[in-house]
Parts: sequence; structure tokens; C-alpha cells
Amino acid sequence: METANYKYVIFALVIAAIFAVAPFSLPRFYVYLIALIVTTGLLSTSLNFVLGFGGIYQFHHAVFYGVGAYGAAVMIMKLNYNPWIGFIVGPLAAAFLSLVIGLICIRLSKLYFGMLQISLGSLVWAIVYRWYTFTGGDDGIHGISVPPILESPIGSYYFTLIVVALSLFIMYRILKAPFGSILQGIRDNVVRSQAIGVNVRRHQLIAIVIAGFFAGVAGVLFVVVDNSVFPDMMFWTLSLEITIMALVGGWYTFLGPMLGAAIIVLLRTFVSTMTEYWALALGLVLLLVILFLPEGVLGKVFEIWRERGLGRTGEAERTKGTDYA
Amino acid sequence: MDILSAICSPVVLCQILMGLSRTVILFIVASGLSLILGVLRIPNIAHGSLYMIGAFMAYTVSRLFGGGIAGYWMAVLLAPLGVALLSFVVERGIFSRVYDREHIMLFLLTFAFVLVFGDLVKMVWGAEYRTVPIPPFFQGAIPILGMRFPIYNFFLLLMGPLVAILLYLLVNKTKMGKISRAAAVDMEMVAGVGINVSRVFCSVFVIGCFLAGLGGALVAPIVNVSLGMDHTLIMEAFLIVIIGGLGNIWGALLGSLIFGLTQSLGILIWPQFGIVLPYAAVIVVLSFRPTGLLRSTW
Amino acid sequence: MKKGIMLAIAFISFVMFVTTPSFAQGTIKVGFVDTYSGPASVYTFDVLDGFKIAIEKVNAKGGILGKKIEYVTRDEKFKPDVGLAMAKELVMREKVDILAGTINSGTTLAVADFAKKEKIPFICSFAKSEKITGEMGHRYVFAVSENTRMIGKAAAVVLSKKPYTKYWIAGEDYEYGHAVGDATWRYIKEMNPKAQLMGQTWWKVGEADIGSYITPIVQAKPDCLIMGTGGSGNLNFLKLAKSMDLPKQMAIYLHTAIELSNLEPLKDEAPEGVYGTANYLYYYPETAENKAFVDEFKKLYNRPPKVGALYGYALGQLIVNAYQKAGAVDKEKFIDAVEGLVVDSPVGKLEMRKCDHQLMLPMFFGVTKKSPNYPYLIAGDIVTISGKDYLPTCDEIMSVRKK
Repeated sequence: METANYKYVIFALVIAAIFAVAPFSLPRFYVYLIALIVTTGLLSTSLNFVLGFGGIYQFHHAVFYGVGAYGAAVMIMKLNYNPWIGFIVGPLAAAFLSLVIGLICIRLSKLYFGMLQISLGSLVWAIVYRWYTFTGGDDGIHGISVPPILESPIGSYYFTLIVVALSLFIMYRILKAPFGSILQGIRDNVVRSQAIGVNVRRHQLIAIVIAGFFAGVAGVLFVVVDNSVFPDMMFWTLSLEITIMALVGGWYTFLGPMLGAAIIVLLRTFVSTMTEYWALALGLVLLLVILFLPEGVLGKVFEIWRERGLGRTGEAERTKGTDYA
Repeated sequence: MDILSAICSPVVLCQILMGLSRTVILFIVASGLSLILGVLRIPNIAHGSLYMIGAFMAYTVSRLFGGGIAGYWMAVLLAPLGVALLSFVVERGIFSRVYDREHIMLFLLTFAFVLVFGDLVKMVWGAEYRTVPIPPFFQGAIPILGMRFPIYNFFLLLMGPLVAILLYLLVNKTKMGKISRAAAVDMEMVAGVGINVSRVFCSVFVIGCFLAGLGGALVAPIVNVSLGMDHTLIMEAFLIVIIGGLGNIWGALLGSLIFGLTQSLGILIWPQFGIVLPYAAVIVVLSFRPTGLLRSTW
Repeated sequence: MKKGIMLAIAFISFVMFVTTPSFAQGTIKVGFVDTYSGPASVYTFDVLDGFKIAIEKVNAKGGILGKKIEYVTRDEKFKPDVGLAMAKELVMREKVDILAGTINSGTTLAVADFAKKEKIPFICSFAKSEKITGEMGHRYVFAVSENTRMIGKAAAVVLSKKPYTKYWIAGEDYEYGHAVGDATWRYIKEMNPKAQLMGQTWWKVGEADIGSYITPIVQAKPDCLIMGTGGSGNLNFLKLAKSMDLPKQMAIYLHTAIELSNLEPLKDEAPEGVYGTANYLYYYPETAENKAFVDEFKKLYNRPPKVGALYGYALGQLIVNAYQKAGAVDKEKFIDAVEGLVVDSPVGKLEMRKCDHQLMLPMFFGVTKKSPNYPYLIAGDIVTISGKDYLPTCDEIMSVRKK
């Protein structure tokens, strides 16, 4: 057990070292790509916080991502605040919106929750899309000024890495704490959780707000990396793409969504240079994963480890519980 | 605005008729969606894609038969059948293997088909705009109290009730319809009585998709047949099904009426933001009746 | 575990290898980011085809400065975030010398901002936002396509002389729709102070059934309806206009109503009597250059050229001539050379204006009418408005840039 711990730590350090020296060894494009991947990974991890670990049908997570990004963009470009302030306002706005939408939807369960969230989220999208004087409409907002340290690809890269690592760490700790266990308990059996005195609604709501907050953080990071925001960031197809990332990576695990994001972003970047039928490719990937690999890549890896008796140090992992329905 | 004279004016009447013709298309598509949702418990996002395929097939069929009257009727007949065939293949090939999965998996599976169908349409038909010509008989407009109302929309107003009646007969008077209704309420009991549940699923799915294709074929002459039709329609269809009550076909009718009429009257009353009214109506309905207006089968 | 990691790394490196940058050495590389899938692609393929004609002859003679001109394309699928990522890939990985594109204004603005940071010239080949060479213009962005400010002014030049005073604006509720409607109205009001705006109607982009929006407009009885639709919205509206006999009840103006992209798919379902503007009509003017261009295009691609072909051809011409003039494949020298450059085109000589980097295209104003010679409607009563008469002045542009 302790040797496994040791191996794990060394492995993590090696990975961290690789990431740290990347800007100096890889071409600029790949540095940008990695920044994009970890940002997207943060987004899908925040989704999985409520979806995989909470069993909540969060069908329109992208709204919070978009609001986080637009919050920062509008503060900086339209209201002329200091970028750092914009970066803080973004996730707060996202968290606030998730509270509001959560409160409206929480009375419903499962599919109704998801569909209502999609319609409310689409309403937000429609407002952003039409209010072009304030939000740039379908053109979006571009050339967003960021603090000088973050202007270079290297600066934005390190900043993104640090913020993502920190966010992942916080979410992980929350999941390991009693709150996380209760959340998973609610996911597996609502009635029993209530029976032991858990305030189910309150727990779910808090989880939704946390997830929304970190989605907003991911949105702000996108602004740092790309200096632009677009209404598509809040469109329901993006929400489904994020869900696909979580599934492909393995939504029974904590790091699965990050892996899924890496896979999908890489595939998209390279497949798009070869063919215009990326949607078809993504659809086929999704189909294959659902039919043959529903536990996702990382999930499968862990399953193989377990079968071989390799001890694993505490991963916040979903036990194969009961059906969502 | 003097309410009474306003209500009886030609414009309002025309608006209402326009709204109703929109309702017809929405109802045909949403009823199929509701059917599938009610019995199979699958939220079929690909329903919009099947609608789009129906429209494209109508284009091809009408071209094959040289446009005109013959082309149009063949299109309205064959396109939905083509969509039904496609859905049959997909159901037997893939869906039937995964019915025991979690709902969210099925939901994502239908999304996979949205992606696949979207690109398939692009591959087969290319990316250009297609127009399906309105058959000569239906071209032009007739004056209603001084306002001109397109004849084709009138035709739709006749088709709507026709489809509704046929659907009613199918669901309530045929044996299969009764079995489906029973299956929607209690699947296990139906299986226990010895009925082949898998075949029930298949028939219901195919009929639901046929309706989507029919909606697409009927709307093709008055709309641009292009990629992206699926995305715009599916959200509306889902909202209609939700406010109507999951699985309830009359709920779908009610929902479509609300949607179609609030939109067309909304524009009249409030040109700038009238478009928001259907969504406002959805929020209002769901605040008071979260499970939908009529009883759902879930 | 180790095996798995090795495998993963091997797979990723393999994927990256297989897709290494595709250019040969010693070439001038042009990177196109555009929408090559979906409805918009019917416009964008014309841009590429026109561009190819412009560079083919030059390449046959060995290229410019001893280097052939090569191009590569990336499909943004009409999504600005994808477009921006593609542009970054083209610059950072494929190392192109020039960026070109796109039909999506959102992408164009985002890429223009990126081009400014990277100091690489970017030529807008289709998008129509007036911000591209207006408010957000800068040294590294150029446009060969017209923008909404230009459209509005050109339309106003003709419409303000007609006896219309009561106007209504209608269209799709997105940036382009509003921009073109507002710009047209703004200039009409300026040139004809008696004009009044009675109302506006906006519907969702891609709205299928717009009949309910049109009936209230008919009731209001304006003299002239200014349309702000684009893409498939044009087709939708034109079809409805024909079925409701709209042109007989009011004058209608729609940018590109007389253009082939809209009239060809509609065939005889297009309404007669609709006013429109366009930057290219393949059958007019019947000059030798235009005929030669059209014949070559038809021979190569089996279809007549639409407006995108003109943009693409002009783009190619600018690149070829500017590098020639600059004498080196250098980004800054290219910009200095292309400012103020005049090139030949099927519609005559075109100048790339120095103050705002906007190509000064002529605009054709006409009305749709049936013709026995073509299976689709064509433009009649054509009025040609030359660039200098309808482009906003340099002062106007500089003042919006300052804000």
C-alpha cells in the first residue's frame, strides 16, 4: 500500500515536470493546445462534479462556462474594469446564475431537471445573443485585454496550469470530505439519504453552485488563452460535448473528464485537418464508447488495475451503483 | 388599442391562422417525440435530425418525379416512409441492444445520432440550399377579409386535424395502440401477459420517427431545406412535450397550440420581443404544473 | 501502467506525425480559414475557386519571386471558437505567410485581433461586419468583401431618390441583420430627410415560418421595406414574398436579392420586382475581362461564378501583385505594397484603399426580373455605383476608430 503511494507521487511529479518545461521544448502551437486542453478539462471535471458524483442531470453546464467568460469580458471591455477584477467577477456571476437556475430546477427530478435547465440556459443564450450593444451579439467580444504578464503564450500557459491545478485540488478535497460522500450517497439512493436526515435539496444545490463556479473559472481561463468570447460558448451542443468528454474519459473517476477532454480536443484538432466530417467522427466515437466502453477510458484502466490486484490510493470513485432513473 | 375591434380585425385572424399552420408542423413532430418518450422512455434528440432528413428526402423525391403535383404527393408519401425505414434499421441495430441502460446513456446515444445524421445529410446532399417547389395547385394566396393568406398554409391547416384524428384512432382504437398505452404505464405487466415487448418498442419508435419525417416533408415547400433545421426545431419540440406532459399526445397538441399561438400573437402585440413569449409561456406553465399540463405517462 | 503510458505517447506522437504541416519548402503559403460545411459553404467554395484562377497562371510561370503560391484550408464550421483555433494552428504550426477568410463575422473579428498580435496580414474574404475595417480595423487586417456600412450607403444612394417616405425594417435578429438594416436606414434618412421609420420586425435566425411576421407589416402599409436577412433567411423571405405577392404591395429592398446565390436555387419561385444590390453579376457588365473570367470559371468548375468568385479572384490578384511589388516574402513589406495597390478584375480596376484597407468594389443596384435566356431571374434596370461614391469617407472611418 505504501509503495503504491510512493509510485503515485513520483508519477505525479514526473507529469508536473513535463508540463512545466513544455513551453521551452514544444512548438508554440502545442503550448496553446495544452492550455486549451486543461481549460476544457477543468470544465468537464466541474460538470462531472455534479453529474458523475452527484447523479444530477446537468444538461446545460456550458451556460455557466459562458457566463463566467462573458462576465469577465464585459467587465473588462464594456465597463472598463481592471482585468483581475473581471477575472473574479466571472466565476462569481457563474456561481450566482447556477444558484438561480438551480433553485428553479431543483424541485424537479432527473429528466425534467435537465430539460428545464436546457430551456433556461437557452434563454440566457438568447439574451446574450440578442443584446449586441452590451455583449457583442453573435459577433462576440474580441481583443479582450488581459494583465501584461498573461499576454504571452507562456505567461497564459503557466497561469492556466496553476489555476486548473488549484481548482482540481479544491474539488477533489471537497469530494473526499464528508460533503462529497453525502453527495454520492444521494446519487445512489435518495430515499435512504433522506431517511438518515440529509437535506437532499440543499446538498444538491450547493454542489450545483460549486460546479457552476468552477465552470466560470474555466470560462475566465478561456478568455486568458484566446482573448475572445462567443455566444456559442453557451449553446446546448457544447454542453453535450462536455458530457461526451466526461463519458469518454470515465465519469466514474475524478480525472476521467480531464482525460476525456484531452482526447476529444486532440482528436478534433487533428481530425479536422484531414476531413470536414468531424461531427460524424465525434458521433461514432460516442457511439462506440456507449456501446463498448461505458466506463470510459480511465474507468477501464482502473478496472484492469483492480482486477490485477494493484492497490490504488484513494481516488474519489463511483461505485457501480444503482440506475440513475 | 381597442381590444374588441382589434380581436376581430383581419390582421389578428390572419395571424391566428399563421400561428395555427405553424402549430400543425410542431404538433406532428412533437407527437412523434411524445410517443417515443412515453412508451420507450427515450428523449430522442435525434428527432430533429429525422425531421431534417424527411425534408431532404422530400426534396429528392419531388425532383425524381419532376416537381409539380405528382412530385409533391410522392414526396409526402415516400419521404416519411424513408425516415421510418432508417429509424427501423437504427432501432433494431443499435437501440434495441441498450434498452436496459441508464436513461442518460440513451439520451447521449440519441445525441450521437444527431451528430452522425447531421454529417450524413451533408455527405449525401451536399451543403447547398435546397428548395422544394410548392406544387402549382397550392401556389399563391387567397384573400381573407382583405389580407392575403398563402394557400399552402391552408392546406397545412387541413392536414393537422387529419393527422390528429388518425393518431387518435391509432392510439385508441387499434390493438397495437392499446398495447402501447399499456406498455407506457406498466411495461412489466405487458411482458407478463405474454406480449413481445421488443416488437412493441420497435413499432412505436418507427411510427414516432415516421411522424418526424412527415413533419419535415410537409414543411419543406415553405422553408429552407438546409443543414441546421434539426437544431432549431428540436428544442421547441422538447419544450412542447414537456409542457404538455411527457408521453401525452394531447399534451403535445396543447403545447403546440400554446407555442404557435403565443408566438404569432406575441409578434403582433410586441414586435420587438414577441418571440420571447412562447418561452415565457413555458416558464409560466412549468412553475405551476412542473410535470406538464396534462397527465404524463411517467 | 508503464506500458499503457508508452502506448498512449506512441499513439499521440503517431497522430501528430501523420498530420505534419503540409507545405513544401520555398513557397508562399496562404492559409484559408472558412466555413466549408453547412449552408454557408455554397458561398465560400466560390472564393477558393476564384482565388485559384488568379494564382494558376502565375504559378504556371514559376510563381512570384521564384516561389509558387500554395494554399491550405481549414473548416471552421461557422463556429468562431473553432475558426480562431484553426487560425492559430495555421500560423503557429503550418507557418503560413498570409491568412484569409472567413464568412463568419465573429470569427473574422477574432482572427483579426489575433493577426494584430502575431503581426501577420489577414484578408477578410466574405464577412460583412463594418467593424472589420471600421471600428476594429488596424494595420494587419484587410477586406475584399463589402461591409454593412457600404451596403447601406449604396442602397441609400438609389432609394433616397425614389418617392418613398414611409419605411419599415425587417430581418433576422443577429448582428448582420441589424447592421445592414440600420446602416441602410441611417443613410436613407441622411440623404432624404423626409423619410420616416414606421416600425421594425425581427425574427430568430433560421426561423422557418415567417408568415406571421409579415402580415402585420402588410397591414401597416409602408412604402418600402428594408430587409436585413442573410443566407438562407434570404431564400425563405423571397419565397414567402412571391407566395404573398409582396412586391405588388410595397417596394422591397434586400441586399443580394439580385445575386445569383439567391436567384439560382429559387428558379421561378423567386419574386419579380424586388430591389437589390450586389457586387458581382456574371452577365454584367459585358466587358471582355468579365466574359473571359466567366468563360474560364465555367470551363474549370462547370457553373457560373457568384460573388464569392470575385472576392477570391481579387484576393489572389492582390497577393500576386503585392509580393511582386514588395520584392520579398516579408509580411511588413507586403502590407506596405498592398496599400493603395490597384489590380485588374472582371469588373474593372480595383483599388485597395490605404486609409482603412478596404477594397473599393463597384456596387450594382437592380430589380429582379424574369428573363427568357436564363432558368432563373436576373437583375434588370442595373445602375452601377462606383466605389468612391458609396464607400464611407476616410474621415468617417478614422472617427469611428477613435471611439
